[in-house]
This record gives sequence, structure tokens and C-alpha cells, in this order.
Amino acid sequence: MSSSGYGQKEKVLSRIAANRLQKELTEWQVNAPCGFKHKVTDSLQRWIIEVHGAPNTLYEGEQFHLQVDFPEHYPMEAPQVIFMQVPPMHPHIYSNGHICLDILYDSWSPAMTVSSICISILSMLSSSTVKARPPDDDRYVRNCRNGRSPKETRWWFHDDKV
Amino acid sequence: MDTETGGEKERPRDDEIQAFHNQIRAADAEKLEFVGDKEPLSVLEDEYKAGSAVFLAKLQILKENYGSIRRARGDGNCFFRSFMFSYLEHLIVTQDEAEIARVEKSIEICKQTLIDLGHAEFTFEDFLGIFVEQLQSVIQGKETSISLDTLVERCRDQYVSNYVVMFFRFVTSGEIRRRAEFFEPFIQGMSNMSVVQFCRSSVEPMGEESDHVHITALSDALGVPVRVVYLDQSGDINDKPVTVNNHDFIPEGMDTSVDPYVILLYRPGHYDILYRRENPANVEPTILEQKN
Repeated sequence: MSSSGYGQKEKVLSRIAANRLQKELTEWQVNAPCGFKHKVTDSLQRWIIEVHGAPNTLYEGEQFHLQVDFPEHYPMEAPQVIFMQVPPMHPHIYSNGHICLDILYDSWSPAMTVSSICISILSMLSSSTVKARPPDDDRYVRNCRNGRSPKETRWWFHDDKV
Repeated sequence: MDTETGGEKERPRDDEIQAFHNQIRAADAEKLEFVGDKEPLSVLEDEYKAGSAVFLAKLQILKENYGSIRRARGDGNCFFRSFMFSYLEHLIVTQDEAEIARVEKSIEICKQTLIDLGHAEFTFEDFLGIFVEQLQSVIQGKETSISLDTLVERCRDQYVSNYVVMFFRFVTSGEIRRRAEFFEPFIQGMSNMSVVQFCRSSVEPMGEESDHVHITALSDALGVPVRVVYLDQSGDINDKPVTVNNHDFIPEGMDTSVDPYVILLYRPGHYDILYRRENPANVEPTILEQKN
């Protein structure tokens, strides 16, 4: 599956957003979050990030890729964050790569950064006790076939334990 | 965890109803500027003509001291937007350069607080910069000076207004976490959350409504006293006299007899800006030529 269908309404970054992302990238280069690696591309607007499963967790030794697309008004608006194929088996991660994590949607704050998102995602992975897809995976993925962005989903966050 | 992707629906859940309510609120909010025009207080009488007797009685009392209101958009940021406009308007009218110098010192301390709490400077400097830019442009006689009309325009501009609101959210969150022991009982009393969780979920995201905790923290951190006047249904029309409750948020270390110039009208769930009768701001804009 290709994930390039997401982020249809892509608009170029505003000057402020571009400026801010440049600063984030510089900071990342000197102080990257542990377990993550930014793959260098020529795009400031789309970051591809390598994720390494943390030691002593279900995902130890596994490697995944996040695709982060930034909107025109980042950081006032949340970036779109999805796992590229193949996403980790996790009760909050759908097989199309969409992630059910409140900070990516309703609870986004402009106080967050790519780093803080990464740390939240790794913590979500690390605390998992079972490798499984969400119970409604088939239905959800079927409904996203038209290339819908996870930011258009109405998410319910009932369980913040896993 | 569950998702709603169409079909297979049961009856609406509480969070679903809340989401629907938020949607309506957002649609309604779009109809209003971030900050409206100054209006005589009598507009509220028209609004509540058919309303409760307590409300109308309180409005009469309010009119003795206050002359006009300026509405803020009801999008969950109304406290911060009201504070922003009211404070900057006060400065543009009074040309109080000493106050600007004082608040700039407070901002430096807020900045240090945020750094001490682990925020990289780049995460908040754009927001801080926009607020400082507004502060510096209210003093007249400089190339960058702005008129009251321009201040209104800027406070209605999505970029300026949202960036300043976000700066205030940073400051509020920083102050709450810096004095976590002080704020903890208030936060636990209403939400059962830890201080950090509260800041993350109820202060830092845009659109999260403010209450006493937010107002106390922002007022203390910036050193700006705030009066909130409550127009609500409390009290009984048969109990004479009906009174209007005020609460003054006085920053630590400030004389408690100080008269706040940032005055907000609170109606359940919403803040607007309130003006005293014969406020000098009523005789704009010639006053801008004078210096205190």
C-alpha cells in the first residue's frame, strides 16, 4: 500500500511554519529523541522517521517508519502522522497505518513538537501487552479506502492505558 | 478505543453529544469576530428581555458602574482574547511605558520558567515574539506605533490573535506547573487530574475553556490584576437586595486595594470585556495624543 494518497489538501507551508520547522529540524539534529532517526529528504513538509522498538518491550528489534505531513499553519494545526507499511501490530494502530492517539487530533497543542509526538508514540508502543490490531480494524480500514486522512476521522479515546 | 466511520451506530454516547455540542458552538462562533465592537450595556437588556428576573435585576446593578461591553468569540479562547484586548487597549489609552517595561520583565521570568520546565526556546519564541511586538507598538510616536483601530484589527487577525492566545496558554501552563503545590488542590477539586495532565489537556490545547485556575495563573505570572464580574442566575429575586458578585485576581505581592483595569464580564461558560462608566477609553481617539 502506498501512503502518498494522504494529505490531499496539501498547501505549502506558511513562512512562519517553514521557519519553525527549520528550527525543529536543527534541534532534532543535535538532540534527536532516543529510538528515532529522521531520514533525510529534500522536503521540509514531509518527514520520514525511523522508529526502533524499545528494548524489553514487545517491539524490541523491530523497525517501523512514520510519515509526518505538516499543514500550512503548523504548529497551530496538528501534523498528520501515520505509520508507513508495515505498521506495528498494536491495539491502537490500524493496518492502514492510522494511529489512535489523542494528541494527534483533539488534544493537539501548539506547545508540542515532532519530538514530543515521537516520544508519545514510543511510549504507546512500549506499554502494549498484546500484539493485535484494533477490534474494528476491518471496518475502519474499509471506510478509509478513498484515501481519507486520519485527521478526518472522529476518534474516541476511551482507553489511555495501552 | 473505538472509531466512528459511519454505519453500525448505537445511541449517542456522552462524548458524542459533547462533540456535537462543540460543533454547534464552533459554527456559532464563526459568526462573531474574535473581539467585537464596543457596545452599550443596554444591548444585554434587549438580549435578556424575556430572561429571568434575577438576571435583569443584576443588569440594572451592573449599569450603575459599567457602561459598555465588547464581546469575545465563544470559541473556548474568550478569556485569553478578552484579556489580550483589554490589556493592550488599556496601554494604548494610558501610554503607560513603565507598565510595559514591568510586564516585559515578567515575560522574561515566564520565559525562564518555561525553559526550566524543559521547553526548548524555539517551541514558544514565535508566540512570545508576537505578543512583545504588540506591546511595543502601543506606545505612540514610533514608526511601529499603531492606533486603537489597528489594535482592533490585529486582535481580529487570526495569526496575531491565535499566537498571542497560545503565548498566554504557555505562560498559564508554566505558572501552574512552577507552583504545582499551590494549584494542585484546586485542580483536583474539579478534575481529578494531576497538575501536568491538567496543563496538557485543559490549558495547552487551543479552544480549552478557562476558569479560576487559568485566570489566577496568568494574572500572577504577568503581574496584571483582573476583575471578573459575574452575571449569573445565583440569588433569589425575592431576597433583597440582589447583589452582583465580583472577584478580583490580584497578583502576588501587589497591594490588594488595587483597582483592576482588565475587567471581564462572566456569564456561565463565557467571558467578554466590560468597561467602567465614563472610562477614558470612551473618548477615543484624541486621548492618544496625550502622554501620561
